[in-house]
Amino acid sequence: MAPTNTKINRRQFLKASASAVVSLAVVGSAAYYFKDKSSLREKGFLRPPGARAEKDFLFACIKCGLCVQICPVRAIHLADWDDGLSYGTPFINPAVQACDFSCDAIQCAETCPTAAIDFQIFKHAGNEAVEPLYKKYPNGDFPRNLNPFKMQIAAMKRADKMGLAEVPHPDQCLAYHGQGYKGPLGHGNKGKLRPPGSTERIRIEETEVNRKICDLCVIYCPIGEEAIELTEVSDGKFLPKVKDGCVGCGVCQMVCPTTPQAIIVKPLDKEPLFA
Amino acid sequence: MSFLYDFITRDKKRKPLPPKDRSNLPFARLGFSFKEWHDGHVNKHKWRNRRWAFLIFINLLFIISFAFDLSILEGSLSGSRLIGIYLMDPFNSSQELVIGSRTGYIALLTTNFWIGFFVIMTFYWLLGGRAFCSWVCPYHFFAEMGERVHNYIVKKKKIREKTYDITVKYVFWAGFLLLAFLTKELVFENLNPVGILSRSLIYGPGLALIWVVALLLYEVFGIKRFWCRYVCPIGTTYSFIGDVSPVGVKFELDKCGYCTDCQDVCLVPHELWFVKKGAATKEVHFTGGDCTKCGLCIDICYGEALSFGFKAPSYILGSVEEKKELHPLEVPDKPKKEK
Repeated sequence: MAPTNTKINRRQFLKASASAVVSLAVVGSAAYYFKDKSSLREKGFLRPPGARAEKDFLFACIKCGLCVQICPVRAIHLADWDDGLSYGTPFINPAVQACDFSCDAIQCAETCPTAAIDFQIFKHAGNEAVEPLYKKYPNGDFPRNLNPFKMQIAAMKRADKMGLAEVPHPDQCLAYHGQGYKGPLGHGNKGKLRPPGSTERIRIEETEVNRKICDLCVIYCPIGEEAIELTEVSDGKFLPKVKDGCVGCGVCQMVCPTTPQAIIVKPLDKEPLFA
Repeated sequence: MSFLYDFITRDKKRKPLPPKDRSNLPFARLGFSFKEWHDGHVNKHKWRNRRWAFLIFINLLFIISFAFDLSILEGSLSGSRLIGIYLMDPFNSSQELVIGSRTGYIALLTTNFWIGFFVIMTFYWLLGGRAFCSWVCPYHFFAEMGERVHNYIVKKKKIREKTYDITVKYVFWAGFLLLAFLTKELVFENLNPVGILSRSLIYGPGLALIWVVALLLYEVFGIKRFWCRYVCPIGTTYSFIGDVSPVGVKFELDKCGYCTDCQDVCLVPHELWFVKKGAATKEVHFTGGDCTKCGLCIDICYGEALSFGFKAPSYILGSVEEKKELHPLEVPDKPKKEK
């Protein structure tokens, strides 16, 4: 080949490298600055069930969107620039579509290739729940009324807390005023839900309900009375009481008919282990 | 580092073969003048059409898999699952591994991650590394269109062509890995037009598309193929494995008429350095790691001197070929004169 002027090449390379290093430094410091600027809490968005502590999650998540695809109710979305979360990471907006655990096996966690959404905690909880059963009936000949799969699922959905429900302003709650509710579920939002004890999913905006005292958050809670209960605070005034069992799935917020919703879910964060 | 550079440029460093006599050129052997031979060729754009069809097909497969809830090709180009087999983006995974080694998170990565990483590396090693760019990458598709517009504007002399040293991409590659290590965040993924475009196509457009559009505009009106040539670390990762890949674009000196039209259409012209008169150092050359296996040069070659071919293991290791391996001088069956 024709002889090339190596001196010019080297100078060109050094010049280009210098601009590369400068731009990398700018990008790096910007990324570092924006890293902890997640406004997850202010927006009330949840991470999917089993998500690691926010700081760990940010590098563990590879932003592929497999969790988005596997979710049967399409509760998970990927964050855009204006969502206040790190770009491309998955989140759940419980006000629109909550996680109702109707996939039965926490599939978003199972599908995550980098374990940013950790399946192990669910797996352990499920196995722990059925272990004594298999010890008692080693051949798998369970009594008719015993369904180990259901027990496993029940334990799995209780294994991790995404958030915690709360009623920040009791006077927004219909039950607090002793009022009932007649009309469609939700507050004008579209969403899918599998009610407890049912096998079919319903569309909340098409489901008409009629309650003498509004207790929709209680009856649609996928966890049940260990998570939420309607309590009488004074004569004729009721309020949902959130208990320790609440996992923060957000179904109560999704079905709440008031605008703004009287019951909301606040995301919980864990202790970072790696960051 | 210099060892690596020497390895990549191993063929270029050798002593060039003497240029062929005019009587030995393929058109002279067929009894044509260069013009007759050159003008007689009809470019059917065989590989370009196949490539575009494949690229659109793959990206459409992503889109319909999500839209209709089919388990064919789920996820996005950052990480996906093809009928149950995980595929991971190599640079994304590299960043994850770098951060993982620092924090200890590497132990928690799932088996699916490792499978996806090795499957994609092996797959693209077999198929020539940067084949990903021209056959799959949606950004490449738009950038290729942008390059045409850019070339048109340059031809009209509205802007001047600027080129930079392509080795700067190694600086970016190492730099982005270092940034991941330092900030413990997948920094590159925030800028990655491949991921942004792929996610926008599949999950619906978002504000992040602004960045992709800005990049495209810069490539059209500023520096030609700025991102793909000088920055993109995904392509650089693929170029490492592409250099030692068993397939590549094969160049046979015997059939070459020194017209260098292939270099004009090539998306990475530095990879076709050997087509210039007197530049080739071997009778048979293969394109290196930066070649995207797009086939544009194959489509345009009049003498069929360029084709997809398999490299011998000794070729990959850079050994000097023996005389017996030389391609026998072949004359194309049909003269290309008639249309």
